Amino acid sequence: MTFLDLARKNAWRKPLRTVLLMVCIAIAFLIYGLTASFLAGTQGTSAASDDILGVMSAAGRTQPLPLANMSRLTTDPDIAAVGYMTRLRGFVEVEKNVVAVSAADPALLIAVNGKGLGLTPDLLAAIGGARDKVLVGGALAQAQGWTVGQSITVTAFDTAKQDGSRDWRFEISGIFEGENAATDTYFIIARYDYVNAARARGKDTVDAFIVRPRDGVSSGQLAARIDALFANSAAPTRTQSEKQFLEAFLRQYADIGLIVNLVVGAAFFTLLMIVVNTMVFAVRERTFEIGVLKTLGFSRLKVMMLVLGETLFVFTVGGGIGLALAKLATTLAGPDLGLVFSPLIAAKALAIIVVLGLATGALPAFNAMRTPIIKAFRTR
Amino acid sequence: MTDTQEPYIALSGIRKGYRIGGEAIPIFSNLDLAIPRGDFVAIMGPSGSGKSTLLNMLAGIDRPDAGTLRIGSSRLDQMGEAARSSWRAHHMGIVFQFYNLLPMLTAAENVELPLLLKPLSARERRTRVDKVLDLVGLAGREKQYPAMMSGGQQQRVGIARAIVSDPGLLLCDEPTGDLDRKSADEVLEMLRFLNRELGKTIVMVTHDPQAALYAKRTLHLDKGDFIEEKRAA
Repeated sequence: MTFLDLARKNAWRKPLRTVLLMVCIAIAFLIYGLTASFLAGTQGTSAASDDILGVMSAAGRTQPLPLANMSRLTTDPDIAAVGYMTRLRGFVEVEKNVVAVSAADPALLIAVNGKGLGLTPDLLAAIGGARDKVLVGGALAQAQGWTVGQSITVTAFDTAKQDGSRDWRFEISGIFEGENAATDTYFIIARYDYVNAARARGKDTVDAFIVRPRDGVSSGQLAARIDALFANSAAPTRTQSEKQFLEAFLRQYADIGLIVNLVVGAAFFTLLMIVVNTMVFAVRERTFEIGVLKTLGFSRLKVMMLVLGETLFVFTVGGGIGLALAKLATTLAGPDLGLVFSPLIAAKALAIIVVLGLATGALPAFNAMRTPIIKAFRTR
Repeated sequence: MTDTQEPYIALSGIRKGYRIGGEAIPIFSNLDLAIPRGDFVAIMGPSGSGKSTLLNMLAGIDRPDAGTLRIGSSRLDQMGEAARSSWRAHHMGIVFQFYNLLPMLTAAENVELPLLLKPLSARERRTRVDKVLDLVGLAGREKQYPAMMSGGQQQRVGIARAIVSDPGLLLCDEPTGDLDRKSADEVLEMLRFLNRELGKTIVMVTHDPQAALYAKRTLHLDKGDFIEEKRAA
């Protein structure tokens, strides 16, 4: 038997109470694991790059910019690569099944962010085969059950073709998986030349330029310089990093990070109160035995460590179960919901387990430590 | 009390009292006591005479208000709480009236508790536990929980726990108070064996005159300031 065994046996003295505590803790850490995975995943912004810049119209992200601005951007020595894209939003088969198509020059897109998106030369060659070829992100392909060689029709919400139709027919020539699981791959990459030639309005315009600064160049300073370059033009720009853009985009609806933190904070605070209350009573019930242990020679410090060990044990088991469930959920639903349970999340959760385990055990441990033996013996 | 050699336990001029509701209740005003090493002393006396207070002070869980309290080479009256805890872990074993075993631990685990405070390997702890359980006649019952044992068996576990650290001093607080006569006699025989064969110094508080007969001598405590010594029959 070790001290840990003794703490564990103390914890299991009332199995139902301990199991209920562990369930509470597991639920709290399941919430934490899922929300943190949400923030870390593609639904959040942490996967977005701080280095890649998006140059959009200062009048709003739906306002187009002239493609001709491309030539002014390419002359900037601090820009390593620049591409462009225009967005085409629509649905497949039913209106609820919304998809986004980014029409871009694939070669330029690879130069700007090929590594991040997982675009390989093979994929570039595949999309180059015909103008209606597209590359589909892995998450979208999996969600839709699409395969390479399949033809799909995207009915655009706004972008009409010259014949008045809004049905855009594409053939899937490849699937890109992204650099890692956190990369957003829930969209389609189409060829700009095809979309631009076929659309009825907005020819030779783009929704955004995508800029990759040279190594060592401050993306913030470069963004300011680009905006200054077009400040007096017919189409002033607003340049943001991909991460800033996504954060601003999400904040239009709500401050996701704040909401998540409040939910998790409330869950942990409630948990703290429940466990502290339960542990205070659990230890108070054992005051006499604490007196016995002290009589046997257990010091105040050892008694305190015993109680802290007990709460740490309960938190470790409960928290471990919650995190395992969160990991399982993100593994099963990750690609569809954009959840990523990263090692960093696990490490943070372990730190929270230790902190909460010690915090909830502190009060009962302090009480147990302070109780004089004679007073403890009077409790029987 | 009149041994020529240095006593193992020496109390001199002990004063102790309690304050209850603002009223001072004196227990001892000037208590002296000397017990040589290897003695087996029974302490008897009416309720409120200070038996438990004396035992608590000998166990280092209470301190005298004044006077000196020395056991072996340790001045318990001068020690802080941490030092007294450490002293208890290394020099004293205690047997309680109601055994005070931890219900969620097996007999072997209860006995092992004091050894967790010593720098011993799991194997060494196991060897010692097996040895003392064998000594108290409980070999083969290591995995039994207290609730599965009779009062006499539980008290034997209590004794095994008290001696597993091989302390020089064994304090017994009414060790047979919760036992039938047969079990009580078995426990007392065991204490006598520990005293005679292993040389443990034993101080036993008891109300039972028959239990006191197992001791080498009996001290009567009355009103906290008078000790009458009688040789056990």
